[in-house]
Amino acid sequence: MEPADELLDDEAALELPTEPMRLNMGPSHPAMHGTVRMVLDLDGEKILNLDLQPGYLHRGFEKSCERGTWSQVFPYADRLNYVSPMLNNVGWSLAVEKLLEIEVPERCQYYRVILGELSRIADHFTCNGASAMELGAFTPFLWLLKVRDWIWDLLEKETGARMTHSFGRIGGMAAPPTDTLEDDLKALLPEVHRVVKEAEIMLIRNRIFLDRMQGVGVLTKENALAYGCTGPVARGSGVAYDVRKDHPYMVYDRFDFEVPIGQDGDNWDRFMVRFEEIRQSVRIIEQAMEQMPKDGPVNVDDPRIVFPEKDDVYTTIEATIAHFKLVMEGLRTPKGEVYSFTEGGNGELGFYIVSDGSGTPYRVRVRPPCWYNLSACREMLMGDMIADIIPTFGSINMIGGECDR
Amino acid sequence: MPKFKLDGREISFEAGETVIQAAWRAGIEIPHYCWHPGLSIAANCRMCLVHVTSGRQMAMPQLEFDESKGEYVPSTKPKLQPACQLAAAEDMEVSSTNEEVKAAQSSVQEFLLLNHPVDCPICDQAGECKLQDYYYEHQGTLKRKLTEPVHKPKGVRFGPTIVYDAERCIMCTRCIRVSDEVAKDHVLDMRERGNRNEIVLAPGRELDHKYTLMTEHVCPVGALTSSDFRFKARVWFLKSGTGVCTGCATGCNTHVDYDPRYGKVYRLRPRDNAEVNQFWMCDDGMMTYTRHDQDRLEAPTRGRGAERAPIGDAEAITSAAELLSNVEASKLGIVLSGQHTTEDNLALAKLATALGAGHVYLAALGGWDGDDILRSDDNNPNRAGALAASGSEALKSTAELVADVQTGTVQGVLALGWATTERLEELTPLVSLESVVSLTSHVGALPAVAALTIPVADIFELEGSFVNRQGIAQSFTPVLDAPLGVEPAWKAIAAIGKAMGHDLGFDSVAALREALSNQVEAAQ
Repeated sequence: MEPADELLDDEAALELPTEPMRLNMGPSHPAMHGTVRMVLDLDGEKILNLDLQPGYLHRGFEKSCERGTWSQVFPYADRLNYVSPMLNNVGWSLAVEKLLEIEVPERCQYYRVILGELSRIADHFTCNGASAMELGAFTPFLWLLKVRDWIWDLLEKETGARMTHSFGRIGGMAAPPTDTLEDDLKALLPEVHRVVKEAEIMLIRNRIFLDRMQGVGVLTKENALAYGCTGPVARGSGVAYDVRKDHPYMVYDRFDFEVPIGQDGDNWDRFMVRFEEIRQSVRIIEQAMEQMPKDGPVNVDDPRIVFPEKDDVYTTIEATIAHFKLVMEGLRTPKGEVYSFTEGGNGELGFYIVSDGSGTPYRVRVRPPCWYNLSACREMLMGDMIADIIPTFGSINMIGGECDR
Repeated sequence: MPKFKLDGREISFEAGETVIQAAWRAGIEIPHYCWHPGLSIAANCRMCLVHVTSGRQMAMPQLEFDESKGEYVPSTKPKLQPACQLAAAEDMEVSSTNEEVKAAQSSVQEFLLLNHPVDCPICDQAGECKLQDYYYEHQGTLKRKLTEPVHKPKGVRFGPTIVYDAERCIMCTRCIRVSDEVAKDHVLDMRERGNRNEIVLAPGRELDHKYTLMTEHVCPVGALTSSDFRFKARVWFLKSGTGVCTGCATGCNTHVDYDPRYGKVYRLRPRDNAEVNQFWMCDDGMMTYTRHDQDRLEAPTRGRGAERAPIGDAEAITSAAELLSNVEASKLGIVLSGQHTTEDNLALAKLATALGAGHVYLAALGGWDGDDILRSDDNNPNRAGALAASGSEALKSTAELVADVQTGTVQGVLALGWATTERLEELTPLVSLESVVSLTSHVGALPAVAALTIPVADIFELEGSFVNRQGIAQSFTPVLDAPLGVEPAWKAIAAIGKAMGHDLGFDSVAALREALSNQVEAAQ
């Protein structure tokens, strides 16, 4: 390095040449949940360019599906969006059921709605809680995750697992609703309402929080559409698209609920859309509880699709054979292709599946909502400050398991 | 050819053919248990019921419940006919998938499973069982009968090769018919009726003819199991390759079922070939796979008796070349083998020509009891191929080799294969020679008297062909990997030739085959 006094002699040297600083953020960075890498070009703290590089959590989900039977995809599906695994389970069930051209009994459809919406609530609580925490608000984070834990307690009671339930089945669910489900929900849902309200009290009049969220990470409606964004990200930008409303599946057309949308497409709108969706999900669950048949079958009545009862498997040859065939060869689907899509935690979760008529998927393609939402992330952040990456990236709720597959 | 329509698809048939047979030839399977293309028609399983929708409909009277009257009233339903017994007729229209047929298939299947034991987990047939396949395809309902199933004898020894389980049996009578019609031995029959039905042996007899394993092969369920395969492997772990039986000159086509995890062959199954073996194989042929693992030679050895010691692969080739070079070409005896492929034999015959060897012999087994069904008297799979490879009408036997050695006409031997008619004692004169080289997959009398043995690939491990007694050349491809360092004989022969300064002019099985066809054409 030149001595300082030498430089000072030269007038021209005072006009320091500046060039953008290149900074790697992630893939191993506390704010880059789901291991994403961002290569930033910075002018001071301003983001000049942003190169998003996902793929660090690629496990070969789609290829793995081609190895097992149709039913063996459920554990993989759990690990797509692991924050709301039940929605993935239901999505996969519906895709294969579409291929099989069967419909599960109504009781099962309501049950799937209830468990799925609970998952959605947990998903939104996690996202909003984490967003707040990353801006230094640790209390709301714990406040919200407390509810997620209650939901997980309930899901554990229903499914036996807190997170990766693998509870969906083709043609039904692994088990019927427990007797205590209704009481548990009646106790839980008012608490959900209360906690959302409390969290809002903590956050929505907090000046620091508002400044970090409002007007930051703006995604216009046009861009949201252009990038194929769905879910809370698109709705935050004013795109009123919700698969449950626009292409109702299962029994969603029987419920009275609103699709909240934002106006500015900033972090704040996405944040508030999620809170409002929690309230709407609670409404849906309440109506579903009301309408769900109290008894009746949950699974379709066909041992060639649904595993027969273990008692029967051990004592009758028909069930033994059905079990054997389902385990060894997998349930057989007709030859063909289907695209089936549902409203996942982050938007339209689609499964495009191709069957060659055997017991194993020929090809499975997932449309992960995160992938499209993440693509729009660059658009949101260009020109913003480096610190804005944190709440913006948080509000996309990118889930590596789903995005990278 | 006349045609009829099955489920809307036109199928041509020959006069006298049944619907199921014509469909089977067209590659369409109408579900069936008792029908077998190679056996007579029994029409007792009722699984192949079809609905003839053209012409005057056959109707069957039945009672139907009339809800408005609250009582049963007479009505009719279409009368279905067994496709295995129904002769195809011009412009006939047959449905094997309409609602009536589906209902019948489901009912028949349910009936067959009525008293079936819960044996899948311990049954060798599981995974290739027609009851399982048809349950999934055509039934798909759970048990309605709540009473105890009928119990019958289990694990009945029918003979040295077959064990019978009457509870699993669906009484299709295929095993009876295969004994009657293929083996020409009426050793099995059926007794009692209804759910007491069971297959029994003729009094004082055992199931011991030469085609007993075919009864197991045709059994569509797990009622007959082979003592050899019983509880040895799970069929869904097995993969299947194609082969040709090494048992005799008939050359029955086989499926070679092996477990890729262990590289082990578990059984052979006959592979349909109308020209050669139709659908069948004999017991001895089915069991030839057991030779593969037994008494294999896996490393080259040098020396005789107590001095015999393993040597390296490369050393074996140079050592063989050295031993053979020590012998005057006119006094060198080359021994082809009726157990080896035509390609192996051709390679050796080419080496004999290149060296100018004076004497060519053929080593072969001495024959077994043939019959006029499948078994040839000659239990060498490729005598004809070896002869074709040598280019001569007849070859001298190994007995003549021994005589030639004793008279001193032959002073060095290069022999292929382990199989000879002569036993070890009869071959002892060869021990007096210094230069006896044996190329062999297994140990045997001929390798035992050799001064140098070189292991070569066995039938399951190489690509090649056999010429059977009808003069049909049947090729096969490798099913398993040969032990490390072990090559097919033709490669070892080429290497020995090269070490002795002769390029034999082939580097692949394809090149050998081309050479053979040129040789045969030139001879004509």
